[in-house]
Amino acid sequence: MTPMGWLDAVYVMAYRQLKHFVRSPSRIIASIVNPLIWILFFGMGWASTFRFPGAKALFGGVDYLSFLIPGIIAMSVFTGSFLSGISILFDKQFGFLKEILVAPVPRVAAMTGRILGDSLTATIEAGIIAVIGLPLITRVSFLGILYALLYSYLAAIGFSALGIAIASRMRSYEGFQLIMSFLIMPLIFLSGAFYPIRYMPWWLKLLAYMDPLTYSVDATRYWLVGVAQINPWIDLGALLLLDAGLVIVAGYLFGKMSLE
Amino acid sequence: MKRYGDIVAVNGVSFRVKYGEIFGFLGPNGAGKTTTIHILSTLLKPTAGRALVAGYDVVREAASVRRSIGIVFQDPSLDEGLTAYENLYIHGRVYGLRGSALRERIEEMLGFVELEEYRDRLVRTFSGGMRRRLELARALLHEPRVLFLDEPTLGLDPHARTRLWEYITRLRAEKGVTIFLTTHYMEEAEQLCDRIAIIDKGRIVATGSPDELKSMLGDEVVYMRVSDPGKACKALERLESVKECKVLQGGRVSIHVPSAAQTIPELLEAAKNSGVRVVEVSYRRPTLNDVFIHLTGRGIEEESVDETERIRIYARSYFRRKG
Repeated sequence: MTPMGWLDAVYVMAYRQLKHFVRSPSRIIASIVNPLIWILFFGMGWASTFRFPGAKALFGGVDYLSFLIPGIIAMSVFTGSFLSGISILFDKQFGFLKEILVAPVPRVAAMTGRILGDSLTATIEAGIIAVIGLPLITRVSFLGILYALLYSYLAAIGFSALGIAIASRMRSYEGFQLIMSFLIMPLIFLSGAFYPIRYMPWWLKLLAYMDPLTYSVDATRYWLVGVAQINPWIDLGALLLLDAGLVIVAGYLFGKMSLE
Repeated sequence: MKRYGDIVAVNGVSFRVKYGEIFGFLGPNGAGKTTTIHILSTLLKPTAGRALVAGYDVVREAASVRRSIGIVFQDPSLDEGLTAYENLYIHGRVYGLRGSALRERIEEMLGFVELEEYRDRLVRTFSGGMRRRLELARALLHEPRVLFLDEPTLGLDPHARTRLWEYITRLRAEKGVTIFLTTHYMEEAEQLCDRIAIIDKGRIVATGSPDELKSMLGDEVVYMRVSDPGKACKALERLESVKECKVLQGGRVSIHVPSAAQTIPELLEAAKNSGVRVVEVSYRRPTLNDVFIHLTGRGIEEESVDETERIRIYARSYFRRKG
């Protein structure tokens, strides 16, 4: 297979994910409404609680909504990209996967295209939420949004690879509830999206630093409101490491996937 | 040979398909037809044995095999959330086609299966027959040398089935592509295939053209309605070309002969000479089902639909919107 053929496969699989994205407005709306519910109900609720003098100090010098919104954006990137990775199970169930398995392109190329496409849609969703949430954030820079989205894209690559890796080992959606309770929820709660990691007990803090989502939340918050617990360069390193590791694992597991 | 643990799915499956012919694998469900196709299309690795497709080894030269083949799977494999055109476009790009060459090729194939009007409709809205046609167009898009069709008309209504048969027959005439198909429909094998391998329990039990297979049984059967069956049989059994004459119900007799076409005049003559009046004559060549019964002791199509197939047929009709 020529390098051109490789690129074609990557391109066309990304194209497929984008087509699916624009074809399902209900999915787009759901993926935007859900974070907005968090911001409005959860966020407003706590924001009015943390209005006492000195409360801002708890969140690195910003009000609670400014602290929360970047976290919610990172959370939506995470669930969006992870779930689209998992949705490769649909392809298995509805048969399209066979079309890819029998194609003369390396599976890694097809998978990479899919990951890049899924990550782009997750980032677009994040962008929409960011734009809607902006008026609620106290200070924000245009360049900051671009950086935040760039970091979001990097995080999405790793998380959608994680979804594909897990889906490659699953036979049906039966195990899905399990993943929801044992993976998605803990990763979100540990990430510092809702509350600062700083005040966690040491063992929770340890787990938080092992959660890749922590670095994505931290970087998004840094670029959007200028508050960070971790150096953004470390965030970048952690996300790149996450991407490399998970893409390799996903490529291996997806490559081994067979019809049996 | 392909083995799953202790279960041997196919074994002793050895055959050659000639360039440009339609070769059929005929056998009941679970005979190993799909397993064979999956091995030939590089989706499964054989546990033992060797297979060449378009001159390439399916294990060592899998990439070359993949480029040379097109396949319509038994179960649907289209992307339902995309349009007909997009499904073909993605396939084309994955197989290295692009630009105006790809666009022209897509239009050509949409025309071939008569789906031009539906090009921008989502596959989700397609009937079972339309989906199969689109899958056929997709499998042919990159001009494969060998086309695999796994139970191409399973679950289709008679009209859609006949239509698909027409495309397959036209393919051989117009494109010269070699076709390997599996089926458990007798009529399908007979209508479409130049040669057939009858497969049962993972083994090929016979190979040949439909006519060759049927002539294995030797004779043909002539049915006659006559004024006096007993007398008729007595007279006819004296003829050299008559192997056996049986009296049936309703004043009828059945006569086994090597060739009905040649023997019928002789039979009529003999009946007339013995004073028996012949009211009606018909004859039947043995069907492939008779051949299958002869070889395996049971029929193919009489078998009850097994569970997997029921689910498949259900799944297909479930997603169908239009008749």
